[in-house]
Amino acid sequence: MARLTLERVSFWYPAMGRPALRDVSLAAAPGEVIALVGNVGAGASTLLLVAADLAPRVVGGRLEGRVKGEGGRGIVLPTPWTQLSGMAFTVWDEVAFGPANLGWPRERIAGAVDRSLAALDIGALAARDPATLSGGELQRVVIAGIVAMEPALLLLDEPTAELDPEATRLVWRLVRALAGDGCSVVVATSDLDALPELADRIVWMEDGAVRRIGAPALLAEQSLWEAGLATTVADVWRTARLGAPYPLTVAQAERRWRQ
Amino acid sequence: MSVRLLVLIPAAAAMSLALSAAVDAVALPLFLDTTGTVLATALAGPGAGIATGVLTSAVNTLRNPTFWPFVVVQVIVALYAWLAARAGLFRSLRTAVPAGLGLGVLAAATSTPISYVVFGCTTTGGIALTTALGRALGLPPLGACFFGSFVADFGDKAVTFALVTSVLHALPRRTAARFPWALRAVGAA
Amino acid sequence: MTGGRLHPFTLLAIAGTLPALAWILPAPAGGAVTTAVALVLTLTPGASPGLTGSGSSPGWRPGLVVLRTAVLTAAPFWLFLLLLHDVPSTIAIGLRLTTMIASVVWVGALLPPGRLVEAMVAAGWGVTAAYLFAAALSAVPLLKARAQRIVDAQRCRGLSPRGGVGRRLRALRALALPLVLSVLHEVDERALALETRGFVPGARRTPLAPPRDATAERAGRWLLLVGCAAALAWRLAWRG
Repeated sequence: MARLTLERVSFWYPAMGRPALRDVSLAAAPGEVIALVGNVGAGASTLLLVAADLAPRVVGGRLEGRVKGEGGRGIVLPTPWTQLSGMAFTVWDEVAFGPANLGWPRERIAGAVDRSLAALDIGALAARDPATLSGGELQRVVIAGIVAMEPALLLLDEPTAELDPEATRLVWRLVRALAGDGCSVVVATSDLDALPELADRIVWMEDGAVRRIGAPALLAEQSLWEAGLATTVADVWRTARLGAPYPLTVAQAERRWRQ
Repeated sequence: MSVRLLVLIPAAAAMSLALSAAVDAVALPLFLDTTGTVLATALAGPGAGIATGVLTSAVNTLRNPTFWPFVVVQVIVALYAWLAARAGLFRSLRTAVPAGLGLGVLAAATSTPISYVVFGCTTTGGIALTTALGRALGLPPLGACFFGSFVADFGDKAVTFALVTSVLHALPRRTAARFPWALRAVGAA
Repeated sequence: MTGGRLHPFTLLAIAGTLPALAWILPAPAGGAVTTAVALVLTLTPGASPGLTGSGSSPGWRPGLVVLRTAVLTAAPFWLFLLLLHDVPSTIAIGLRLTTMIASVVWVGALLPPGRLVEAMVAAGWGVTAAYLFAAALSAVPLLKARAQRIVDAQRCRGLSPRGGVGRRLRALRALALPLVLSVLHEVDERALALETRGFVPGARRTPLAPPRDATAERAGRWLLLVGCAAALAWRLAWRG
């Protein structure tokens, strides 16, 4: 029973002749992590907006095809500072904003917020004014705010853009943990090196259409490498003409090397 | 009220108050505290403009405790801006600046009674001094007060209208199309 | 008793009643009384930074900071009033203005914005009013900082406050336009973020920390309203 189904979806932004999405079909199962990769303008962000039921409902524009979603959905957009509610004067209240809007009882909100703060390791920031946070702290607060709403489908658009490597690893660990609890996650990211361990499936997008869908091994294939979408290790292996099968991670490369 | 409108209004109100930094940098005797009100009206109609004006006054009062009585002026500005937008007067500076001057007269006329009754014409140092000048020139008290308010408001509202016109023309067409009134205000619809 | 424990609506009611009475009651006695009350109120210790962030500050007894702000804000008006009016008028208007200023400064110092937002939400008002007020308040310092950054950047490119009016107006445009356009550009993104977090205009949301609203306080607020109306009626009758 898929959490999200897109059937032959095409989408045009308002007053635009060219479609931002062309004939996209995709399904996400509970507990699955799907990564969208592609170059700028490939349509990953648009796909996430459509999956989040924000396009065309809030964004405007025209949609063709069918979009079906089960359960609550939450999306984390790329620019953290525009995602602050403006109504919260502490980080705790900011993270509680979503659950409070859902009308949950106070105890449930408190539990969800505390768990979220712990998962993103920002418990120490709980009493801070969100306006005083750094970019990285802000991004974690925004993610925490969506995670606290316990969505069945979590959509992430470049969630680690402002984060240092340690915080990035934290977020990816959280994504896998949420998937383990049954959440479906669709993430658009340029952090290709994290994907072999993070994603169950890779969706390669180009020019608004899906070019390939497959396992993370896709990231070592010729066509993706030529598009600049291989992992660092695979890229180095190919560039050095070291022959198939191409490893995706350092660990895989080490094993290959020893053989 | 849509969420987009709800986001626009406080943003426009805060913008009015933040423009003081720009004004100080060029050392011009302007307020520009109705910029957000005029802009919100031109983009989304008189309701949005009035809400922005009231909100601007409320937030401004916290910093300048004496501003609250002038909320009436903000409402008048929103209504005037609505008429100007309907007539497409934001289509060029040639039509916007005279419209702004007209608003300056109206705003001064509206704020004079408030200034006189509540503040004895001492709303700001500038207005107080200009009022004294008016009295020295032989004007009656209310007239001198109007003179004081007029000098402050005349240029301010003209610059405000010119600025809003620039903004409306600088908006990408796709963005402008998302605001119900924007195209009409610049005479493009 | 710290004023910070009173319900936000009570604080607003008091801050509204004092200036109203200053105008209604005959000068100068009425104004003197309300001014005295307002200034004494500024000595109430505040619990946390209020709407203007000027609550407690280390090294100063909190109440004195607020009193000082009120007095310093009111002082210029007295000066200009003397310039334009005779002494009795100066005193009459000056006392009214001082009451208004002191009341606003007091409530601004004492009322944390989050608490006011919670009071609005708990009172059953839809999120709309609370959002408008809170969002405007939190946006002002951010936009001011952004405006300052634009000013600094333009200064590096030769912006100066010298020159004729025409030149300065063009410079103003170069400063103001980027600020305004950036705000408008963000409207869509902010709307999306609110939507995804379940924000629905006019809907009710769970109050997170509703301020306690004792029956006595609610009765007190009504009493203040009635008192003002009664004072107004008495004043009109006395005049006529």
